[in-house]
Amino acid sequence: MESKSTFSVKELNKSFAGLKAVDNVSLHLETGEVLGLIGPNGSGKTTLINLMTGMLDKDSGHISLDSHNIGEMPAYRVPFYGLVRTYQTIRIFKNLSCLENAMIGALGVGTKHREAARLAVGLLEELGLGDKIDLPAQSLTFRDQRLLEIARALAAQPKFMLLDEPAAGLNEEETDELLSLLKPMPHSKKIGIIIVEHDMRLIMNLCNRLHVLNYGKTIAEGKPEDVRNNPEVVKAYLGSAAS
Amino acid sequence: MNLAKKLSNQQENIKQPAAKDISQYFDFSRKSSTVVILIAILVVIGYFIWWLNIPFIEDIFTAGTITLIMTLGFQLFMGNSGILNWSYVGYVGIGAFASAIFSMTPAVKTMQIPTMYPFLINLHLPFPVALLAGALVAMTVAAIIAWPLMRLSDAVGAITQFALLIVINVMLSQWSQVTNGPRTFTLGGKRLTTLWVALGVAVLVIIAVYYFKESSLGLKLRATRDDRYAARSSGINFVAVRYCAYVASAFIGGLAGGLYSHYILSITAASFYMSELFMILSMVVIGGSMSVSGAFFGTLLVTLLRQFLRQVELFLTRSGFEASGSTEIVVAVLMIIFLIWQADGITGGRELSWRSIKRRLPSGSKKRNKVLKNKKQEEKA
Repeated sequence: MESKSTFSVKELNKSFAGLKAVDNVSLHLETGEVLGLIGPNGSGKTTLINLMTGMLDKDSGHISLDSHNIGEMPAYRVPFYGLVRTYQTIRIFKNLSCLENAMIGALGVGTKHREAARLAVGLLEELGLGDKIDLPAQSLTFRDQRLLEIARALAAQPKFMLLDEPAAGLNEEETDELLSLLKPMPHSKKIGIIIVEHDMRLIMNLCNRLHVLNYGKTIAEGKPEDVRNNPEVVKAYLGSAAS
Repeated sequence: MNLAKKLSNQQENIKQPAAKDISQYFDFSRKSSTVVILIAILVVIGYFIWWLNIPFIEDIFTAGTITLIMTLGFQLFMGNSGILNWSYVGYVGIGAFASAIFSMTPAVKTMQIPTMYPFLINLHLPFPVALLAGALVAMTVAAIIAWPLMRLSDAVGAITQFALLIVINVMLSQWSQVTNGPRTFTLGGKRLTTLWVALGVAVLVIIAVYYFKESSLGLKLRATRDDRYAARSSGINFVAVRYCAYVASAFIGGLAGGLYSHYILSITAASFYMSELFMILSMVVIGGSMSVSGAFFGTLLVTLLRQFLRQVELFLTRSGFEASGSTEIVVAVLMIIFLIWQADGITGGRELSWRSIKRRLPSGSKKRNKVLKNKKQEEKA
């Protein structure tokens, strides 16, 4: 029997100069699940991702992955325990080739050079970048750079992956393609995904559960269809889209 | 086939996805051809010059090869980390003085540098050991001071390195008991860094610097150069990877310094300061700081250019024009031009490899066109 991993955040707080960016947020996720993190602009979604991956120091709260207290670790230790992320503003290594970019994900968690290359090639082919392996990353199209970032994250063979607006800047067709790539991953790769996204079609098609933030506070969580009909969510966020 | 067998077969298939054949990404033309080509060029030129047997040209080549070792060591850190390492030339100086002190005989030391500490006077090592020991001293100094500096990036990082260079330079120029202070430090004896010694070390350094860049550690360092945050969230401790490269770079700098002092035979702290750093920097920038080939061809090109300009300068001065210093101006202007229009240097930050040469050859492009044509036809069909 496959053992499941659990990622959990308890009572997380973060203020910037008195402003509560993340206010007592708790969430948890198991491998195989997709959790959508949504909310209006400035509701603290990206801050939450930065806190969870150690890129920002939290004020208080607990972040754990299985029995590991990753909330107390420097950001570069977090991937070793199986938590990786992508960025809203694409952050790739522009002078490195696609292969090298993807390899970094694996090398970063201590995978050997050859094995890292093998993983990287496999993932690049899987994500449709197989014929661009030798190209410098900066020569890729916007869409391919997004996919490359995902390939790099997956090369770490993570248990959990945080995607920060992976569809931002993609057109409808490209978003559909992204959806069809991401959809099978929770099962094929046995990972849990937390996804921040404004594209509701992507969110509704991909997520098992939603977690809605507004002004840093959790205002709703649960199944997508329940959340969609939650009056507070409609008021805060979906208001314009639902009407 | 019974069901149980079928199931277990399926499970095996799931457990072991077909192993990717990655050998094509690690073949000779990708991974090793650069080193072979660079070494071949250096050895062929070296052998030809040795065969010519003209001392003047032999000297230029030997000095140029020592400079090559310096630029390679400089590229190792700056090229892969993206931090302008001003203090590098200080480590070259430390290696130069240290190895000279190790290799000189006690008699020469007492005569040349009477102020020297007695325990240093009695120290005497054979040249190769002294060379290595000198490089180790430079490396140790770097290892002791570098850790807190490695968290600094960009302009702040460069400024700290600059301040560090001042510290090292003042130490070298004022520590009379070790370096003879601001006075000239004369090694005595005969020139130990011959053409073949310099060439041999250069070959080893080319191999070391290239494979460092291609190693896991080098790749991680290059990732931090391009995006520090993404590297961090990929599991890379950028302070640690920078530190390793910095210390390694100081070792190669120290090695180059030792070769230099045993070539030129009289040094002062001023030999390892701004103008030397400018020379190294111009070579790496013009060649392309991001590749080993860039440091190599930058050194080759700028060395030839400087020799040529020096002759022009001499000629002008002889015919009555005051032209001293014009070499530096031309090189500096060239560097500015490169930074504006071709910031990645003549190599564009790439390595010269058998693949890149094949692509340029007419037969190579023909073959490629053929492949492309075939692909198109397949797509049509």
